[in-house]
Amino acid sequence: KMAGLGSARALRLLSLSLSLSLSRRRGALRGFADGPQMHFGFQTVTEEERREKINRVFESVAKKYDVMNDSMTLGIHRLWKNALVRQMNPSPGTLLLDVAGGTGDIAFRFIDYVRSVRERQLQRRLKHHQNLSWQEIAESYQEDKSPLGDSQVVVCDISKEMLQVGKEKAQDLGYSEGLSWVLGNAEELPFDDDKFDVYTIAFGIRNVTRIDLALQEAYRVLKPGGRFLCLEFSQVRNPLLSRLYDLYSFQVIPVLGEVIAGDWKSYQYLVESIRRFPPQEEFKAMIEDAGFFKVDYENLNNGIVAIHSGFKL
Amino acid sequence: VRWQLCPPQRPLQASAVLRRVSDEQKKEPFASSSQQQFNSQPADHQPEQEPQGPDPSYTGQGGQESEDYESEEQLQHRILTAALESVPEHGWTAEAIAEGAKTLGLSAAAAGMFQSDGSQLILHFVSQCNTKLSELLQQEQKLVEQGEAEKKPTDQFLRDAVEARLRMVIPYIEKWPQALSILLMPHNIPSSLSLLSSMIDDIWHYAGDQSTDINWYTRRAVLTGIYNTTELVMMQDSSPDFEDTWRFLENRVADAMKMGDTANQVQSTGEAIVQGLMGAAVTVSNAETSRALR
Repeated sequence: KMAGLGSARALRLLSLSLSLSLSRRRGALRGFADGPQMHFGFQTVTEEERREKINRVFESVAKKYDVMNDSMTLGIHRLWKNALVRQMNPSPGTLLLDVAGGTGDIAFRFIDYVRSVRERQLQRRLKHHQNLSWQEIAESYQEDKSPLGDSQVVVCDISKEMLQVGKEKAQDLGYSEGLSWVLGNAEELPFDDDKFDVYTIAFGIRNVTRIDLALQEAYRVLKPGGRFLCLEFSQVRNPLLSRLYDLYSFQVIPVLGEVIAGDWKSYQYLVESIRRFPPQEEFKAMIEDAGFFKVDYENLNNGIVAIHSGFKL
Repeated sequence: VRWQLCPPQRPLQASAVLRRVSDEQKKEPFASSSQQQFNSQPADHQPEQEPQGPDPSYTGQGGQESEDYESEEQLQHRILTAALESVPEHGWTAEAIAEGAKTLGLSAAAAGMFQSDGSQLILHFVSQCNTKLSELLQQEQKLVEQGEAEKKPTDQFLRDAVEARLRMVIPYIEKWPQALSILLMPHNIPSSLSLLSSMIDDIWHYAGDQSTDINWYTRRAVLTGIYNTTELVMMQDSSPDFEDTWRFLENRVADAMKMGDTANQVQSTGEAIVQGLMGAAVTVSNAETSRALR
């Protein structure tokens, strides 16, 4: 009975979405005012309103965030996040700040990566010391008080609910060491200058109201030589793929949002915010304006997602 | 086109690490020449970092002070040079580069600027060695010109040059086989090959080679062969101060010299034989003609 209700509702919403999305897109082409007016998806709002709306979006999606990610991207978001950590190539002893990292996906991957690098390092070191006795070898395994090599990750998010979900996930998956959870705003980070080796923001920067402030804050908290990494949805150049992508985004995703999470509007916002985000080259220029050097980007999946990287030199 | 789209000046004072060029007693001309040899990155960034160009005497437009901060490439060279010290311990890897960055006071994350297989570190080292060799040969040539030294015979010159170059590898000899194998990887071959050939060319130039015919190619090919084989022998050599390697080198250079003489001998013998055959052919044809006429 519940399933029947759900599918009927979905069909009605599907037809609704067709008309709604068409009108929204037409509306967006007119009247985008400058100044304190900003975009919230395809709507036009003030800065304050935008922050409020986004806060509410994440309040409502927090519990189903991971499930929705999996269903919307068919699980591919895991590959994207793996690619980000692989490009980071962190060495043990790295201090990572993961902003807008609510449910901890990047943080957990970072910990896994660093742990395996550390193990390999220790194995190599043992191999060199050929004439250790069995006892000394056993001792060296036990004495290893730093399986992460002193690496640490601080997860910072503006939404308490997202952090809560992340903490629970960490407990379930057994991550305890080297992990901290901090409530904070990317435009005004509660950290000192020159603190972190790497700053990452995965699928979070398009929700930030003033991206330039967030980039400046990123520059501030990074150590000299530190790296800025941003994983974000970006523009698809290929026209055929772009058509299919638009179709999928506007027709399927909000429906999924309603069916799985009971929240149409948040996922409509999500899709629209992706379209509003500046393309690869423009974002690269913004990063350079914040003071980063050697800024570059890598397209994943033809531009559906891009990893931007810059260094504080 | 891209140059015009960029704003005329990046906020250089925002840089945290890039130092002023005047602070360094640095080898700028060498840095830029080695850049051309293997820097595969586009020079797009250069205009952004140094809109006034690397020449310290240039003054910017509109009376702006020319703040000559080092470019990203120069910082990269500094990091790689610092990384060389960590190579005996970590090998030619991204870890060594991270250690190098740390000694300069940068975060280890700066190693992310380079490829993760360490090939840029090796190419940097090879390029540095080649530059040192050039300087050495140039100094020797100056001494000869000033009459303070004797001009060496070719085989001695080649031997000394190759030995000097190979000796630069000795501090890193344990990890050098790893470096050689990385240099042979397909994406590194263009760069490593160009570095090798320019080094060999340098040696021949200072040896006084002025050939303009096929000899130019054969000489370089022969010396490349000698250099590569000697390098491989050095990898496996365990004699004190690599005596076996230098003896091997001596023999190979001697062979090459002899081959040069032999080539001439073969050529003149060949010419003699051909003339003999021609003469015989003429005689036979004359005999046939005279018989026919009878």
